[in-house]
Amino acid sequence: MFLAWREIRQSKLRFALVTAVLLLVSYLVFFLSGLASGLAGLNREAVDKWQADGIYLTDESDKSLTQSMMEVDLADDVVADETAVLAQTNLIADNGDAKSGVALFGIRPDEFIMPEPTEGDEFSDEFEVIASDSLKEEGFSVGDELDLSGSEVTLTITGFTDDARFNAAPVLYMNLEDFEKVRPGAAAMAQQEGSAENPDGQPAETDQGLPGETVEQPEMVNAIVVKGSQPDEVPDDLEYLESETFIENLPGYTEQNLTLTFMIYFLFAISAAVVAIFLYVLTVQKISMFGVMKAQGISSAYLSRSVIAQTFILAVIGVLIGFGLTVLTGQFLPAAVPVSFDYGMMAIYGAVLIAVAILGALVSVWTIVKIDPLEAISG
Amino acid sequence: MTEHVLQMEDVTKTFGSGRTEVRALKKTSLDVSRGEVIAIIGPSGSGKSTLLTIAGGLQGPTEGEVRIAGERITELGEKDRSKVRLEHVGFILQSSNLVPFLTVSDQLKLLDKVKKGNMTKEERKGLMEELGITKLTEKYPNDLSGGERQRVAIAKALYSNPSLLLADEPTASLDSDRAFEVMKLLKSAAVKKDAATIVVTHDTRLTDYVDKVYKMVDGVLHLETEKGGAASLDEGRTDFLEKGGNEDGI
Repeated sequence: MFLAWREIRQSKLRFALVTAVLLLVSYLVFFLSGLASGLAGLNREAVDKWQADGIYLTDESDKSLTQSMMEVDLADDVVADETAVLAQTNLIADNGDAKSGVALFGIRPDEFIMPEPTEGDEFSDEFEVIASDSLKEEGFSVGDELDLSGSEVTLTITGFTDDARFNAAPVLYMNLEDFEKVRPGAAAMAQQEGSAENPDGQPAETDQGLPGETVEQPEMVNAIVVKGSQPDEVPDDLEYLESETFIENLPGYTEQNLTLTFMIYFLFAISAAVVAIFLYVLTVQKISMFGVMKAQGISSAYLSRSVIAQTFILAVIGVLIGFGLTVLTGQFLPAAVPVSFDYGMMAIYGAVLIAVAILGALVSVWTIVKIDPLEAISG
Repeated sequence: MTEHVLQMEDVTKTFGSGRTEVRALKKTSLDVSRGEVIAIIGPSGSGKSTLLTIAGGLQGPTEGEVRIAGERITELGEKDRSKVRLEHVGFILQSSNLVPFLTVSDQLKLLDKVKKGNMTKEERKGLMEELGITKLTEKYPNDLSGGERQRVAIAKALYSNPSLLLADEPTASLDSDRAFEVMKLLKSAAVKKDAATIVVTHDTRLTDYVDKVYKMVDGVLHLETEKGGAASLDEGRTDFLEKGGNEDGI
């Protein structure tokens, strides 16, 4: 540390440049991680809010919530500590001043995925909704009446709740009983009532009457969300997914995360290479000096520790300033930028950056070990 | 009984083989005792530096045996030879051996970081006063003149209390006045610290300050002159002044 610090103090500009490179790389890594975390949050925060262990979808849906359709009664066949049925569709909501693409969740208010409003009240009457508070930034407020695309129904916002975005869309939570009337195509479905057919093409027979008589469509949901241990038995035609697996299969989620993660990993590799090149050039410039020191009996281990210590100091300074800059930048970003800083993850990335910088310094260590003091003195 | 700090016995050094074989050092034996200062002179390529680097354990001989402070360094690996150098050998090189980003004071502190048994605070103060570098402690090598740098290099070499001091053309980059000044200080400090000292030089005038002068010609070492150590210092200085030097130049 003695040699390392003395040299940094004496050659400030030279080492400021190395630090600046590490600073910029760490700034970019932290910002990308914030972006990755923010974008991931956009996709998954409504699911995380459930604090559920898993979800049942139809096995033919290929893990897609929108493609999964099942009768609500199937929830009775599911064994779990708690269950909650979920119907979901995507719509455009319009309050007259602003429009927004939303995810509409049909839920039962007495089940565990019912959100707590952070502003306003829970829904109680027909066609009332609790909305994601992200809609407030788009110009929506409690009491707004929302026209919906593909539906004649008008919804009223009774309250807002936090952390309620699904697949990047703000969520509107409404009573499952009303949901069927809102789901796109509900009108057509209603018209078909009375001429419903079984899957084999024969007119459906119901409790209410014979084939050809007026019948009601069974209440349909997209999924059954559960809390409790992993199920031993899964009902026929259903597939159980752990929450994390379900999230990973949200459209575009994994692809987006992988892209950003790869960018971060590439930045790690780039920073290791840049540090290696910088330090190698600095070391090569000092070969003669290191050679003389080795001739005097100063061990390669001591000199190598000095280079490692130097790298550590520079990397820590660069990463800390990069961290500070990232947080500062975050304060001035518009809300539309989906950045969310996960400080735990940033700490890990910072540590990795320091580690890869030290890895880059090993090239210099190898150079020092190979220096022949005799050549350095003779030269 | 005289204690030999450096013992070289039938040492040879050959580079290459076959047609390209060069015998840089032919069978050479040399003993240097504590407090003894010797000079090795000779033309370029005669093998002076090869001898010095073998004596300092920087390279091994092809044949023969080398002992530093009684330790057979010819049988040691580089790591152990490095330890012997740190413990027993001080180097003074032609272009000074200072670390450019350390102040004069830090040059010595560095040795404290890597080795125990260096000079005490009082001894260090005395050495710096003797070498006239007390006021330079916070200066960097680039802020020093050539003579000042070499004086600091001598201080650095002596600070670790070496039993063997090896100086390779220590005055080559200095003008005559500074060269005599540095040589005088080197001799005085080496005698005081009781270090066996070998000075390799082209400048035959500097041999006035040493106890023995060896001449190296084509890898063969001959004893040229031998004289009384303490007396020679004053004689050399008188000789230098008679040659046209002045008090300020020393």
